[in-house]
Amino acid sequence: MEEMLESNEMIIHLGPQHPMQPGPFRLNLRLKGETVMDADVELGYIHKGIEKILENKTYLQGITIVDRICYLVALTNEECFVGCAEKLLGIEPPARSQYIRVILEELSRIQSHLLGLGEFGEFIGFVSMFMYTIKEREDILTLIDMVTGARVTHSYLKFGGVRDDLPAGFKEKALPVLNNLKKVISDYEEMFQSDRIYRERTAGVGILTADVAKSLGVSGPALRATGVPFDIRKNEPYLVYKDLDFKVCTETAGDCAARVQVRLNEMRESIYILEQCFDQIPNGPLFPEGTPYGRRTPVMRVPAGEVFHRVEDPRGEMGMYMISDGTDKPYRVKVRGPYFPTLQALPPLIKGTTVADVAAISGSMDGCTSEADR
Amino acid sequence: MDARTIIESLTGKFPEAISEAGIESPIRIRAYVDKEKAKEVCQYLKDSLQFDHLCSVCGVDYPPRNELESVYHIASYDHPVVLMLKARLPRNAPEIESIVPVYWNANWYERETYELYGIVFKNHPNLKPLLLPEEMLGEWPLRKDYEGFPNKTARNLV
Repeated sequence: MEEMLESNEMIIHLGPQHPMQPGPFRLNLRLKGETVMDADVELGYIHKGIEKILENKTYLQGITIVDRICYLVALTNEECFVGCAEKLLGIEPPARSQYIRVILEELSRIQSHLLGLGEFGEFIGFVSMFMYTIKEREDILTLIDMVTGARVTHSYLKFGGVRDDLPAGFKEKALPVLNNLKKVISDYEEMFQSDRIYRERTAGVGILTADVAKSLGVSGPALRATGVPFDIRKNEPYLVYKDLDFKVCTETAGDCAARVQVRLNEMRESIYILEQCFDQIPNGPLFPEGTPYGRRTPVMRVPAGEVFHRVEDPRGEMGMYMISDGTDKPYRVKVRGPYFPTLQALPPLIKGTTVADVAAISGSMDGCTSEADR
Repeated sequence: MDARTIIESLTGKFPEAISEAGIESPIRIRAYVDKEKAKEVCQYLKDSLQFDHLCSVCGVDYPPRNELESVYHIASYDHPVVLMLKARLPRNAPEIESIVPVYWNANWYERETYELYGIVFKNHPNLKPLLLPEEMLGEWPLRKDYEGFPNKTARNLV
């Protein structure tokens, strides 16, 4: 990049330790005055080699590893990994387990969006937003902790079910938190909209059109903010999502404000889904009856085959491609994380903007570099 | 557009290049593609069959068959079918045409597959390591016979 510099241009490096992006990656910007002429992303600082590790661990051990792909969405990662193995095994969790999974995954979506909003606020200088959202997120994490016994890495899903049932009185504890959250989300919305600085820093900044977003391979809230109603929960329903009533949140502007608005609305939909789950959840076993799968299945052989399973992660489409050769370890697991294409789309998106907007744009993408690196 | 229509259209258009095409479930289809024709098939998928969303590109190593496979998962924003397209490559000289001109976001996936498996994507705009340091080029860490960098320590760890 240095060789192409003109005399009035300069290079600045954002990251790997810059608070602009959570997680270490480096963004090299070629600037002319304040305008970004060119951008280049370097990643790989925290490459963990998860795909190689998974090939050398049993399926059950693999669950603890996929938690670490992105620990903000550990439950959705587990869902994808466990879902792949379940498809190969030809088993389906009983209804109660499926509802418990939906409850936890939606709670997980809410906490991820809350943190994403807070961090976005921080990037554009709205630091108190982070204080507000982290407080609400704590309540959600407490609810998840009550069920799984862990705050971020849960190892909670098992093949064919879940490790433990919901604790007694979970619904009574959860509903006041969710009712409070509904109020708080409206407060956030009002806070954002009444803030002139916020409006000017987000509205019309980093505009992604539907066609461009599709060709860049973007998914999740960043895509839905351009008006494309693409949501794996609707397009390819897994678990009991086809029995639940919810709508896919879309916006049309495609700018930073629209991406934030999609996340706010998605939290409302998640609360609505949770309320339905609490009403509808049936009693019954946690694991399919008449099969050897249960809470204790230390050694499990999976029939040979290959499968590609997708779930809707808070950041978009999470897919895993699993090949089994009939032993107790996967032959190959390819993780297709939602943030990888979104991060790849960052350089073309910030080209031509000003350097102050870079933080707003990359923050509104709600990235997890750890997941892109794997 | 359903799985059967897509398979029939694909095998009808490329009778030589597409082999072992099959339907796994109403929303999952698979096929092998001749490595010389991969880009052409992708272009057809994108233009005529609404496959406008490239999910991923990855490699798989099969030492007993002395083969590497380059696997493309291609989906659509409009219909729910996901196509798994695979190309067989010889293990000693794996080369395939890059599909970046067709799918923009194949760029990083192909770079990742190159550094981890050593599959060379011809005419890729910038084929250099993405995640790993450059001194690991030539090690191909995700191949099955990889033993660890630099002193083969990984064998003891796993």
